[in-house]
Amino acid sequence: MTTDEARWIARASEGDAAAFRHLVDAHATQLFRVCARITGDKALAEDAVQEALINAYRHLRDFDGRSAFTTWLHRIAVNAALEQLRRRSRHEAAMPEDEAGDAFVELAESDPGPDRHARSAEIRREIEGELARMSAIERTAFVLRHHEGQSLEDISATLSLSISSSKQAIFRAVRKLRAVLEPVE
Amino acid sequence: MDTISDDDLILYHYRDGLAPERLAEIETALAAMSEVRERYEAIVRTLSEVDALPAPTADADFAQRLWRQLEPRLRADDAIARRRTWRDYAHALHVWLNPPRLAWAAACVLALAVGIGFYAGRQSAPTPDALAQARADAAAMRVLDAYVAEHLRATEGVLVTASNSDSTELLDGNRELAASLVEANRMYATAATRAGNTRLADFLRQLEPVLISLANPSQSAPVQPTDGLRDYLRATDLLFQVRATEARLQRTGERRT
Repeated sequence: MTTDEARWIARASEGDAAAFRHLVDAHATQLFRVCARITGDKALAEDAVQEALINAYRHLRDFDGRSAFTTWLHRIAVNAALEQLRRRSRHEAAMPEDEAGDAFVELAESDPGPDRHARSAEIRREIEGELARMSAIERTAFVLRHHEGQSLEDISATLSLSISSSKQAIFRAVRKLRAVLEPVE
Repeated sequence: MDTISDDDLILYHYRDGLAPERLAEIETALAAMSEVRERYEAIVRTLSEVDALPAPTADADFAQRLWRQLEPRLRADDAIARRRTWRDYAHALHVWLNPPRLAWAAACVLALAVGIGFYAGRQSAPTPDALAQARADAAAMRVLDAYVAEHLRATEGVLVTASNSDSTELLDGNRELAASLVEANRMYATAATRAGNTRLADFLRQLEPVLISLANPSQSAPVQPTDGLRDYLRATDLLFQVRATEARLQRTGERRT
């Protein structure tokens, strides 16, 4: 955490909206990325980021600096993303798998990376489909470990799981992804 | 060495969740055993495919759009927080001043006001004792009126809830509130008698059995919950009397200030 960031946090916790805007600008993109990976849906990810930031603003006084501010904020965002998924599943009792898969495909296609054309489109779609079919906890634990580089300990704290359960969620996620690739290999 | 599982290899890949000795064992196995190496390579290939997926990116105007949506919510949140602060103080005071404690507080203030009046009457030479005593009495009555008005407002709430609500949870809470009002009611009746306000004292004594019945619904007399209470209230005009007395006390309290 930089000195500037510490100052913004202190001022924002006193209700200074301009200081909070600095924090929003500094973290919004990263928060969007993790929320989008968890939800597989841009609109849900945006809602999750907004809810996470409102929550963070309300509880800034509780931030005691024991963890890094980014970790604290990401923890709130991950839970906001999971909450968005829970809300969606309450509204749509059962989302058809194809549709769920499509959400991930759409998300990925919105920003084709440089490697995209070098990869088999079929493998990519399979992986995206598998990520969409995983349980929210498996996907989230995997995203946090693989993409966010979070430790098992942090993942357990974020998801309120034991370390063993977090490990199992990651193992299941990797196993499912491997199963997608094995017929191709 | 052949006990190295795929799960171990996943943890090895992330260098997380394994003891240093186990990491060293896996390292050795990877160097020595092609079967373990192949399994590990398959895991790495899978994870590389995942890495090859394009990272989700926000729209270019995301941060701006986000702030436009956030700002009014933050402002509203601040406004609510400020209002809540005052409401919290009021609520905390209300909780602390539960009916029996409120009654004690009223009695103490009453006694203090009479004492101060008496002392002032004795000390202030040019002012006649009677005038000082009258002032103290007026202050004491004002305090009593205010407390009893508050007590009657709570009693009115209990009566209305008991006669209109079917919610078990609400009625349970209402019973507790009625029980807490019984003692306060008795003290206010005594204070009103001492202050010479027999009309108020009589009215409060009339309320006591109703509050006791509501606090202990198993006891039969004089009121049975809900339907019985509705009939009783209609027959006795009790609710109207509670409201009228409460309004009268507020008016007289305002006149005394």
